Order: sequence, then structure tokens, then C-alpha cells
Amino acid sequence: MISKHMNARRFLALSFLLATAAVGEGQLYQGKQLVEASAVVNVSTVVSGEPFLAGVRLKMAPGWHTYWKYPGDAGIPTDIKWQMPEGWRAGDIQWPLPLKLQEPGDIQIYGYHDEVLLIQQITPPKNVSGDSVKLAAKVSWLVCEKICIPGDATLGLPLPVASSNSPANTELFTRFQKLLPQSPAADFSAAWSRDSSGLLLTVTSSVLAKSSAVEFFPSPAENVAVGHPQLQSREGDHLVFRVPMEGANRDSLPGLIVFGEGENRRAWEIAATQQSAFAAHASPFHELARFLFFGFVGGFILNLMPCVLPVISLKIFGFVQQAGQSRGRILRSGLAFIAGIFAWFLGLALVLVLVKSAGGQPVWAAQFTNPYFVLIMSAVVLVFALNLFGVFEINLPQWISRRAVAAESAHGNAGSFFQGVFATILATPCTAPFLGTALGFAFTQSAAVILLMFAAIAAGMSAPYLILSAQPAWLKFLPKPGEWMMRVKQLMGFLLIATLLFLLSVLGAQRGVAALIWTCCFLLILSVACWMKGAFITPLASARARAVTLLLMLLFVLGGGWYFIGKKFVTASSVAASPAAANGWQPFTPDRLASELQQGHAVFIDFTAEWCITCKFNESTVLETEAVRSAFSQRQIVKLKADWTNGDPAVTKMLKQFGRPGVPLYVLYPGGAAQPYVFPELLTKNIVLQKLETVNHPIVSQ
Amino acid sequence: MKSLTIALLSLASAALYAADSPAVGSAAPDFSLPDTGGKTHSLSDYKGKYVVLEWFNPECPFVKKHYGSGNMQKLQGEYTSKGVVWLTIDSNAPGAEGNISPEQAQKVMKSWNTKQTSLLLDPEGKAGRSYGARNTPHMFVINPEGKIVYEGAIDSKATPNPDDIANSTNYVKVALDESMSGKPVSNSNTRPYGCSVKYK
Repeated sequence: MISKHMNARRFLALSFLLATAAVGEGQLYQGKQLVEASAVVNVSTVVSGEPFLAGVRLKMAPGWHTYWKYPGDAGIPTDIKWQMPEGWRAGDIQWPLPLKLQEPGDIQIYGYHDEVLLIQQITPPKNVSGDSVKLAAKVSWLVCEKICIPGDATLGLPLPVASSNSPANTELFTRFQKLLPQSPAADFSAAWSRDSSGLLLTVTSSVLAKSSAVEFFPSPAENVAVGHPQLQSREGDHLVFRVPMEGANRDSLPGLIVFGEGENRRAWEIAATQQSAFAAHASPFHELARFLFFGFVGGFILNLMPCVLPVISLKIFGFVQQAGQSRGRILRSGLAFIAGIFAWFLGLALVLVLVKSAGGQPVWAAQFTNPYFVLIMSAVVLVFALNLFGVFEINLPQWISRRAVAAESAHGNAGSFFQGVFATILATPCTAPFLGTALGFAFTQSAAVILLMFAAIAAGMSAPYLILSAQPAWLKFLPKPGEWMMRVKQLMGFLLIATLLFLLSVLGAQRGVAALIWTCCFLLILSVACWMKGAFITPLASARARAVTLLLMLLFVLGGGWYFIGKKFVTASSVAASPAAANGWQPFTPDRLASELQQGHAVFIDFTAEWCITCKFNESTVLETEAVRSAFSQRQIVKLKADWTNGDPAVTKMLKQFGRPGVPLYVLYPGGAAQPYVFPELLTKNIVLQKLETVNHPIVSQ
Repeated sequence: MKSLTIALLSLASAALYAADSPAVGSAAPDFSLPDTGGKTHSLSDYKGKYVVLEWFNPECPFVKKHYGSGNMQKLQGEYTSKGVVWLTIDSNAPGAEGNISPEQAQKVMKSWNTKQTSLLLDPEGKAGRSYGARNTPHMFVINPEGKIVYEGAIDSKATPNPDDIANSTNYVKVALDESMSGKPVSNSNTRPYGCSVKYK
């Protein structure tokens, strides 16, 4: 059994009979003919300069099959190499619609039973000399039933040459031309999107609605592994296919949409596109559930982002303080904290819905492109820092305490609530990777879906707090409160000051040094007001002293705000020198990109903003490292920096084009007509270097 | 922080990945299969070592391509001498092409002078299915932590022609060399080629 012979033996063609007659060769296996191969053309004679069709016809023994251009889980596509005189050209193989065949073990293959004609266009040169020409097709194939046998043949094709010709083999050619993929119906549309496990293809056409079975046959590039496409949902003329695929470096696949049955099976060709926009209307339940899951995970990851860390330490410190308190109390303040997170996200969602319905274009972290938002954040962070330093204590107004359910827990709960709000405000500029996808989806959705999406994000972010406050037993592992807490608290204050410095650097980048100085003046006044509160509004102070201090504080803050912000800050020239052409980076403009691409240059775009820590992190650990920099210059890739610090509308438009609600975004145009490649949001040197390697050295233009 | 995030992301994507083979980076499924002498081998026996899994069918032209030319034996010899455990697995069902008895297996190993650690017989196809092994040869490389670091073809030329071996990139070799020198595997997932595994 093992040493069984299975070499494919070939018959020599008997003779050159008629010019257009099939010259066949057979593949024999254990005395049985598995494949009969022949070459045919659709014309009676060759005419100089006139293209014609040549076909390789394979006739398979019953039950045996050869393969399509994408063989599926096993097999090898048939290969044809034409041997022709100089000046002759052969086009690509036109593959008829294959059958999808199932084998045990969930093995899916694409191939042909019985008979197939693989057609190629042959273009003879303008001046064919002589009265005949001899072409030959070197064909190799794999034919399988339960076992697989490779076969090959060289099919000679002598053709007469004349000044005119007539059609030949018409029946055969039309039979297989009818099976070639067609361009889709006019109302057909296709959109790709991807998630962590693969690609989603959404197709729409009224023609498909009439067909009982609709399938997607992928035809990925060689060596690209894809899983089995599945029809995920179908509503009317709207179908969603899922193609499992590892690796995040592809956002679409070429392939066929196959529909109809028996004789009426037809295929539409879909080319790979760069379009990865989410279909606006497709939101079957599964898709929604998945995106909500991403939202949840994204929200959870927000806890790990650098801009939230100071607040986490604050909150954990809060837990330490509460560790000695009753379980109920800890849970209540944990829940209040979570309510704060939810309040902010749902509030944000509501604003988003309002802006969306007003026709605006809400963009994630867009609030950070507004200098007044950054200014207010700076003030809030400073006040919190001063509080941690012990300059003043926060006692909430009495009316809040009175309304609170339990008098003694009012302070803690309300405080926790605002800490929750505060933590989430700080988190928004860190577009966690999943959050980007989820939000890209959410923006095209209905108000209800946006709200759900944001609730999922809030749930994700609050999950760790919920666990800790519901399981306070775990808090017992935390150290006992004591003198050290004061020191820790003060240390936290410095963390907040660091956050403040970051916010100020954003402001400086947005509005220039003068505006920064005026902001600092206002912050100084604000600090003095805080000190006054700590020094003079004490429980022991008389009501009058308190009232006077409060009045003075208001005067200070309002006066300072009016003068430094209302008068000076507003008029400070927004020099906003874009983070210049340092290290070979050029500022991005749409025209610049277009002109570089026209010149055939490869272009890398870094979508960044001063306030985006993830961007800065990627820049310092990856993009500005020696290895990556030299790879860029070696391959002469044009580096464009798209600065979104001030919310440049041209950059916003580009971001939207890539389906991204915010920065960071890294895109590589490999040059020529190749589709742009989108990098993950968290870069590694490896990812970047590997991708840059695929960029060819530029062709020197004359 | 960054690596933690990436770990979280890959965890999530591993859970969601629904294709046939376990995702690269995920834990390699354990199995227990007899070798040609009846001794049982479990993947867990080899924790702490690099393990190569090679799906096998002695009658498949693509398998013959690599054994007939000595390419597979050379690879097996090179890496088993470096301490790599090389397990060749036959998951073809009884009655189907490529299914072999222990005696036949021993004969094949002798005639081809194979150099793998063991040839395991999986006529029920359980191990094959848990790996989503679709082809012969279909290759997996597992690192000492028990994670799959490579899945796919043996090399870059998907043909049955032994002459193509010289001009192809051997993905398994690249994956082993990179992984054993502490680098991430640059091409960790390729499309396997060959005959289909003839499952029950």
C-alpha cells in the first residue's frame, strides 16, 4: 500500500490534426484516466494584433476534482504557463465559478468536478510572420478524490495564421464564460470592517434577496490564511459575512459573492478595498453584543491608561481610608464612584446624541482640542492638588448633607461620585484600542445604541471598583491607616501637579507662551483663594468672618478670571506653531499627501496631538528610535505629521475616512496604487519595522 | 503598562477567534496518542521544551515531496539534536488514504530514515481536530511555555515539486530559529498546503 506507484503517466498527442482541434493528454493512475487535458482557442486562425481566447480544458474522471485559484483548506490551484514566440502576451487566467466541497473534519475546498475551461486572453504581436505559429501551454494540476495526484502536461497548440478568421469552439467557450464572475448589480454595495477575530463583510442588493443561498468565496493572496466564511446574519437584501482571520493587517479580502442554484449559479466579483467604514445600518444583535463587549473591555483598559493613574491612586487611597468602615458604607461609596463614572459617560453620550442630531461631527477626545476645556481641567486639577497638600479641606455645602440619606456618609458618597466623574474626564484622551473600534461603530448608530455603548464603556471602567467595594475583604490586605497616609496624600498631590504640567503643555502648544503665562496667573489667584478658604473658613470662625472670606474669594477668582482669562488669554495670539519639521517630519495637508502619492512616494502619516499620551509614548518608544528612523530614511518614506492638537478639520476628516474617532492613528501608504495600511494604536518597533520592510525601494523617476 | 494592555487584547482576541486552528499565541491543546511501539505520548510530557507537530500522510504527494527529497528528515535531525521534540502525527481515518498501522508506520520510518522524536497515530482524528489540522504537512511550533508560536505551511512554495524546495523559505525553520533565540516569530501564521487530512 505504501510503496504504491502513483506517478502520472502521459500520452503523447497522436498527431497535429486540425489546427483548432483539442490536442489532449491524459493523466493515468493505476490504469485509470483521471484527467484529460487539452488546449483550445476560440478562433479559426490567428490574425496579427487581434487578441483571441485560449483555454486549457481539463476533463476529470467522475468524483475527482481540480482546484480553483484559492483551493481552500487543501489542494493547489492549476497552473498554466504559455510558451509563445517573442512579442506574444497572455492575460490572467479567468477562473469559472468553482464548487465549494466539504470533506470530513470540516475541511472546505473550492474546485471543479467533471470539466473546466481555464480561459486566458492571448494577444499576438502586430506583425506575425509565416503561415502558422506553434504555442504550447505547460499545465500542472492537482487532482483529488479521496487521494490526491499531481499531474502535468505540455499541450502543443499549432495555429494557422491568416488575415481574417471566424469563431471556433463557440459552445465550449460560452458555456464557461457564463460561469465567470460578473460585475455586481447596480444596487450592490459592499463594506468591510474588522474586529479582533476577523473581517466582516456587509453586502446589500435586491438581487441577493431573491436567492435562497448566498455565499462568499474568499480569494486571499498566496500564503494568506483565512478561516471559513460564514453567513452571520441576513435580513432582506442585507447580508453580513464573517471571515475569521488572524493578524490585524488586512481590512478586506477579494472574493466572490455566489448565489443562485444549479444551472443558474452566478458570482459577483468583489475586489479588495481600503474601505473599512462601518455600514451605517447593519446592526444585527450579535454585532451589537460584540461591540458592547469591546466597549466594556475598552472601558476596563481605561483604568490602565497613564492619564487615569493618578485618579486610581486617589481612589485606592480612598479604599484604604474606608477599610476600617462598615461593609455597607464601603459598598455605598464604591457605588457612588461608579455612578459618577456612569454619569459622565451617559452625559457625554447625551451630548454626542444632541450634537449628532444637530448635524455636527462629534469626535472622541475632541473636548481636548478646545483650549477652554483644557483650562478648566487645569483649574480643577490644581484645586484637587491643593486639597491633597492640605491647603484646604473640602466640606460640601450643608444642603447636600441634609438631603443625603445617611448624614454621616453623605460626604463620602458625594465625594466618591465626583471622583468617578473626575476619573473619567481624565480618561477620555486615551483612546484605548478597542474603544476606537467601538466608538467608530457607535457614531453611525442610533441614539439608543450610542447610549448603550457608552454605558458598556462605563461598566468596563467601573468593574474593578465594583469588585473591590463588593468584596471589601480583599481590602483587608491593604495596610492600616496611619501617619503615613498624610504623606501619601501629599505625594498624590505631586502626581496631580504632574498632570497639571501636562495640561499646561497642551495649552501652550495650542495657544502659545503668552496665553500659558496668563493661565498660570489665573491659577495663582485660584490657589490664593483656596488658601483663604483653608485658613479662614474654619468651623470655629464666626459666620461673619466666613461670609467676608467667601466674598473675597469670589472677588479674587471672578476678578482674576475676568482679567487674565476674559481679557488677556482670549487675545493672546494663537501662534500655535505646529510641531515643526523636526527629525524629518513634514506637516500634513491633504494636498501634500496627494502630491507625494502622485510622485509615487511611500508616505507614513502620524496622526497625533500634544495632549495624547499614547501618541507621545509611541513616538518616543517607537517612531523616534534610531532603528525606525533609519528604516524610514533608508526606504525614503515621506513622514507626515498630522497634528490634531487644535482639532484641525482637515485632520478630523482624514480620521473619519479611516473610521477613527480620534488619535493616535498611524497609516502607511506603500506607494503606487497599493492600499494604505493602518497600524494598531499601540505600536511596537517590530510591527513598524516589519511593515516598512514591505515598502519597495523607490523607483528612480526620470 | 503597554505589554499588559497587549496581553489583555490578545487574551480577548484569542477568546473570540473562531477559526479552525487555535490562534497563534494561545495555549496548545493537550493530547495523548500512542506511538508506533504503543507507548503513549502527551504534549504535557514535553512542557519546557520546544515541540514541533507535523501532520503526516505517507501517500500524499506533498509529504513525499519533503521526505523523498530528504528535506523533512534533515529538518527533524537538525532540531531534535538541539533538544526540540518533533512529533509526527497521522490523523487519517482507517480505510482512508494515509492511514497506517503501527507496523506500516515503522516500515515507513525505516525506509525514509526519518529523524522525528516519535510518530504518533491518531486514527480517530481527535488530536488533529483539536488543532484544526487540515493538511499534510500542516506544521505547528509550540514553545516551552506551551504556547503555539507558529501555525501553517512547512515552506513558502506550495507545490508538490521537490525542485521548489531549494528556492523556498522554510517557515518552520525560521520560526524555530527566531523563537529559540528569544525573538518573536516574524511570520507566525501562514496558509498550510498539501493534501487534506482524511478524517473519519
